[in-house]
Amino acid sequence: MDSLIFYFLSSVLIFSALRVVTHKNPVYGALYLACALVALAGIFFLLEAHFIAGVQLVVYAGAVIVLFVMVLMLFDLKAEKQLWKISPFRWASVAFVAGLTLGVTLLEGLLGSSSIGDLGFFSAKHIARLLFTKYVLAFEVLGVLLILIAVGVVALTRLEREDD
Amino acid sequence: METLINGTKILVIFLSMGSLVPFLVWAERRTLALMQSRLGPNRTGPLGLLQILADLVKPLMKEDFAGQATHKGLFYLAPLLAIIPPALVFGAIPFSHPLILPSFEFLGYAFGPYTFYFQGFNLNVGVVFALGVSSLSAYALLIAGWSSGNKYSLLGALRAAAQTISYELALSLALVGLILVFNTLDFLEMVKIQSGPLTFSFFGSEKTIPFLPGWGIFYQPVGAFLLFISFLAESNRVPFDLPEAEGELVAGYHTEYGGIKLILFYIGEYAHIMVASALMVTFYFGGYTFYPFLTEDSLNGLFQARMGEWAGLLTSLALFITFLVKFFLFLFVFMWIRATLPRFRYDQLMDLGWKTLLPWAFGNAVVTAVVIFIFDFFKRGSFFG
Repeated sequence: MDSLIFYFLSSVLIFSALRVVTHKNPVYGALYLACALVALAGIFFLLEAHFIAGVQLVVYAGAVIVLFVMVLMLFDLKAEKQLWKISPFRWASVAFVAGLTLGVTLLEGLLGSSSIGDLGFFSAKHIARLLFTKYVLAFEVLGVLLILIAVGVVALTRLEREDD
Repeated sequence: METLINGTKILVIFLSMGSLVPFLVWAERRTLALMQSRLGPNRTGPLGLLQILADLVKPLMKEDFAGQATHKGLFYLAPLLAIIPPALVFGAIPFSHPLILPSFEFLGYAFGPYTFYFQGFNLNVGVVFALGVSSLSAYALLIAGWSSGNKYSLLGALRAAAQTISYELALSLALVGLILVFNTLDFLEMVKIQSGPLTFSFFGSEKTIPFLPGWGIFYQPVGAFLLFISFLAESNRVPFDLPEAEGELVAGYHTEYGGIKLILFYIGEYAHIMVASALMVTFYFGGYTFYPFLTEDSLNGLFQARMGEWAGLLTSLALFITFLVKFFLFLFVFMWIRATLPRFRYDQLMDLGWKTLLPWAFGNAVVTAVVIFIFDFFKRGSFFG
């Protein structure tokens, strides 16, 4: 039963990820990305990483991609759609990247490390403990990075307005 | 076998949620009417109850058109996306105490001891799952507005989505204080903690108030208030229902929808309200228990003396009825607010979300964390345990 769900979710994931890069309308690309992320969250659930799955849904699929979609809906996308139609390399580039990915995966499967093994059950408490003790520097640096992004966005929009 | 039981549970939850919505529509119309000194639907059937049937049949018989929709596939997909996230969250909320069935023999097969959870699925990160899935409801609004091929739908959809994601922040932060107090993300654990008396460690000593239940609202009154307002805004409910107000932007993101597709949007909205109500009850009002009288221990004791074997089932049923009573009470509060308050203007709405609720939710989380730290410090006697 688990493997059935896994095959279903991974096929949805692969199909959606492919459509992100092959659909001519960028809004559809963003929506297919959201679909891929929801499938990925499902796979995380299967791997018993419940917290990561939930956080994936909250942050990535639920906030970041929503903002992408909102911004994309405000644009006139005729140029983007036209670009996809006229480029001679569109399918070749997709095939190239797909082939690279397949090659890396096969290579890793043949020579890479063994299976993940039993990592045990990581609850939110374990992750929090790790974040605040072993990886606290990375955590704090990420916080500073986010503040930088927020300040930078405000500064950029202020600059543009002052140029008028 | 497990899959079959879980699948049936999810199906039952989804169908019961869909069936409760027409009843809620009737209840809302009657409640609003009685609060406005008029009667509401009272001609179709006794007390207007056949209005439910009328409301269901009329849209089903309407023409299914896509109008000027530019993206027909997405146009038909959006109403479905409106009802799936709240149904998923509804499946994670516990409605009653889990029923522990001992092993028994049936038709020659031995069924082992089995715990029947009164939820669609029992997650130990229930809160994160609920927040994540309910934030997916923004897609339905965006897709509906954009694929309609109507400028006003698009603007209404963008407004509605902006409102939704703004209040999601206040929602999550208001919950942080609660998670700090209860120390768990699991819904069942939270209800178990709330089924005892109100205890807190006061500068080192454990104080217990024996006559009050340990409900979340006593630990986090500010958080409860903030969460309630955020839920009102998340479900596009008055006073935050600008996205679907009739006079603004025609009807917002569902302008071009009619018939059964529109009904699906309304089912989504009422499902959001049901989820909000159920979550308020689970987080802040004891879930399916009511400490002194109606907890699993007291009811088990009561029923064990008389019924013996069926005590567990009766306990679960009684607790389910407790949950339903509180659930319907909160639904009534939602309708009461709709009858009372006028609508917010859009800039007032966004100001409230970002400039009022978010700082207050931050403050709530910080104050909660500081208080817990101080009390723990006194209990432990040192800075780090």
